[in-house]
Amino acid sequence: MKSRVFINGASTISHQPTFGEKGFSGSIARLEKGSEPLQPAYRDYIDPVMLRRMSRILRMGVTSAAQALRQAGVSSPSGIIVGTGLGCLQDTEKFLSNFLTLEGLIPPTAFILSTHNTVAGQISLSLGCHSYNITHTQNTVSFEMALLDGMMRLEESGGDVLVGAADEHIPFLDRLAAEWGYDNSVLTSGVSFFVLSDTASETTLAEVLDVDVFTGAGGDRKKITDSFLARHGLDRNEVDMVLRAGRQPGEDREFEGATVDYTELCGLYPTASGFAFHYGADFLEPAGTNKKVLIVNELNPLNLGLILLKGFEA
Amino acid sequence: MLTDAYVTGMGVISAIGRSVGENLHALLHKQSGITAVAAGPGKEAVMAGRVAFDDATLARDLGFSRLPVSRTSLLGMTAALEAWGDNRHIPGLKTGLIASTSVGGMDKSEVFYDDFLAGRPADYGVLVCHDSGTTSETIAEFLGISGYVNTISTACSSGANAIMLGARLLRSGRLDRVLVGGSDALTRFTINGFESLMIYDSEWTRPFDEARKGLNLGEGAAFLLMESEKSFQVTGNRPLGRVRGWGNAADAYHQTASSPEGKGATLAIAEAIRTAGLTPADISYVNAHGTGTPNNDLSESVALKNVFGASVPFFSSTKAFTGHTLAAAGAIEAVYSLLAIKEGMIWPNLNFAEAIRDTGLVPVTEPGKCTVDAVLSNSFGFGGNNSSLVFTL
Repeated sequence: MKSRVFINGASTISHQPTFGEKGFSGSIARLEKGSEPLQPAYRDYIDPVMLRRMSRILRMGVTSAAQALRQAGVSSPSGIIVGTGLGCLQDTEKFLSNFLTLEGLIPPTAFILSTHNTVAGQISLSLGCHSYNITHTQNTVSFEMALLDGMMRLEESGGDVLVGAADEHIPFLDRLAAEWGYDNSVLTSGVSFFVLSDTASETTLAEVLDVDVFTGAGGDRKKITDSFLARHGLDRNEVDMVLRAGRQPGEDREFEGATVDYTELCGLYPTASGFAFHYGADFLEPAGTNKKVLIVNELNPLNLGLILLKGFEA
Repeated sequence: MLTDAYVTGMGVISAIGRSVGENLHALLHKQSGITAVAAGPGKEAVMAGRVAFDDATLARDLGFSRLPVSRTSLLGMTAALEAWGDNRHIPGLKTGLIASTSVGGMDKSEVFYDDFLAGRPADYGVLVCHDSGTTSETIAEFLGISGYVNTISTACSSGANAIMLGARLLRSGRLDRVLVGGSDALTRFTINGFESLMIYDSEWTRPFDEARKGLNLGEGAAFLLMESEKSFQVTGNRPLGRVRGWGNAADAYHQTASSPEGKGATLAIAEAIRTAGLTPADISYVNAHGTGTPNNDLSESVALKNVFGASVPFFSSTKAFTGHTLAAAGAIEAVYSLLAIKEGMIWPNLNFAEAIRDTGLVPVTEPGKCTVDAVLSNSFGFGGNNSSLVFTL
C-alpha cells in the first residue's frame, strides 16, 4: 500500500546559506569559483571527543542529520538511509598514504573511518539508534537510491525515516579532473539530510510524490521522464520548476516551466541532487499545494534520477 | 498477498572454487582455500583465501576485453553470469541488479596511488574503476541489465543487505526479478587495515574457538537470481529456495567493535526470524558471521544465546574455508545456506578445538547429513551494521 510521504525536516550544508535557513531558494546566486562550503558550528551538534577524529564528510553528515531531526522533532528515526557516491575519501586517501609510506605499525583510525557506511554508522552511534541502517552508493544516483529505499520503508512500516546525501571533496579530485580533461567546474563537498514521514506535521515543507532511477544504457530518457510524469497524470507543461543537472544550455527547452541547473548553485559532487531536493522543498513551502517540482538528474549521462515534489498546505 | 523472493539461480567464485559445484565439493570434503598469499612489496605473506585465477584468465574466460576493469568487477561478473545462466531478457519482466562491495576498484587504485606518491608515471585511467557503483554497472552491462542497478556498501554486511533490498523490491512489485550479491577482491588496503586493527590472524583463522586470534581475509563473489512468482511462471525456472525473512539493525555501540551484549545482532536475528513468520525453534542451521576475531565471535555467541536460549541450533562459520570476503561474505554464505537446504547438509566449522569459555557454544565440525528446513545467515559489519537473513525451501 503506497503511503503519502512528507518532508518534515530538511538540512543542507553547502556553499549557500542553506543550513537552518528558510526561503534560500529565492535568493541564492550562482557559485563563484573559489568559494567554500559554509561550515556550521559543529560543536553545537557533536560531542567534542568525537568531533576531533571526524573528517569533513562525517562532521557535515552527523550535524546535518541532527538538525533535520531537531526540526522534525524526531529523536530516533525508524531508518537511517544514506546515499554517497564516493564515500569517505579523506580517510580512504589517508589510510592509502599511511600504509604505502609508513614503516612498522600503522594507526587504524583512518581505516576504521574509511568505509562508505561510516556516515550512517556515526549517525546511529550519535543517536543511540538501533533502527534499519544502510548505505547506497550508485555514482550520481546514490541519493535517489536512498530516497527510494526510504519511501519503501515508509510503505512497509510507516514512521519517520532519515534519508541523506553525503559526499566530500579532497584536493586530489581537482587534479584528477584536470587529468581527465574536466575543468571549469566547482568540485566540492555537500551534505543534505531529510526526515521523511507518512504523516504531515506543522514542520512539513513539501510532499514527495515519486522517485525513480534508470541506470545503464538503452533507455529513451525522454520517454522515461514522460511516463514518470504520466504516473501522476502530469505532462511536461504542468511542472512549475525543473531542477536539472548534466545538460548543456539549450537542451532545456523541452520544459515550459522555469529550469534551474542546480549544480551552478551547489557545485559538483555525486549526490548534488540532495541539494536539489532541499531547494525544491524550500521553493514549494510557501508556494501552495498546486505547485510541482521535477528534479532531473543526469549528472552522469548513463544514470537518470527523477524526483517529483509537490507543495503542501496543512 | 505478499510476493515471496524465490531463488532460481546461484553463482559463486571463492578460494574454494569457481562454481557452485566446486564450492560444494570443497565444503563436503573440508578443503579450505586459505593459503599463504603475497601481500605486497616488503611484506611477509599472509594467510588468505585467494581466488586461484588471475585477472587476465578471468577476463578471457568471460570473453570480456574492455580495460581497465577491476578484479572486483571480474569476480562479480563470473558469479553473476553463473547465477544468470541461460536466462533471457523478457519484455514485461522488470529485471534489476543489486551488487555490493566494500573495496570497489581499490585493487587498481592502490597501484595507482603507490606510483603517484612515489612520483612515478601513474595511470590516471584506472581510477574510473574506483567507485563502487562502477563495479555494479560493469556487471549489469555485461549481462545486458539496465534500469534498476544499485550498489550497497555497508562493509561486511553488504552482501546480506543487497539480498534483503532485492527481496523488498520484489515484494513491493517494483521489480519482477533481480540479481543480488556481492563482490570483493583482496587488496593491500584491507589486509593492512585489519592488521592495523590487530585482528588479522597470521595463522589459520579459528572461528568460535577459545584461542581464536582474528580473521583471514578472502576474496570472491556470489550472486543469487531472485524472482517473484509472476516471473518464474514466465521464465519456467524452478525455485531452489526462498529468501523468507530479513532483519537489519544498528548496534550503535562503536564504529568497529560489536557490543558485548550483542545488541544489534540480537535485534537483527530476531527480526529476520519474525519476518519469516517462524519461531527460533524452526531454525535448523545457523551460518554464522564467525569471523574468528575475539570480539565478533563472543558478541555473536551472546546474541545467539539471547535469541535461542539454551537450544542454540546447529551452527558453523564457513570463513575458515573462504576467508572473510567482506561485502561478498553475505552473498557467498547465502549460497552455502541454500546448498545446506538443497543437500540436507550442515557445513563444518574448520580449525575449532575448544569452546569459548564464557558461552560454551560448540559449532558443527564435521559435514553432517540432516533435514534442513530453515537457515539463518548472519552478516555483521563496521559501523555496527548487523543483518540477518532466513532461507527456506
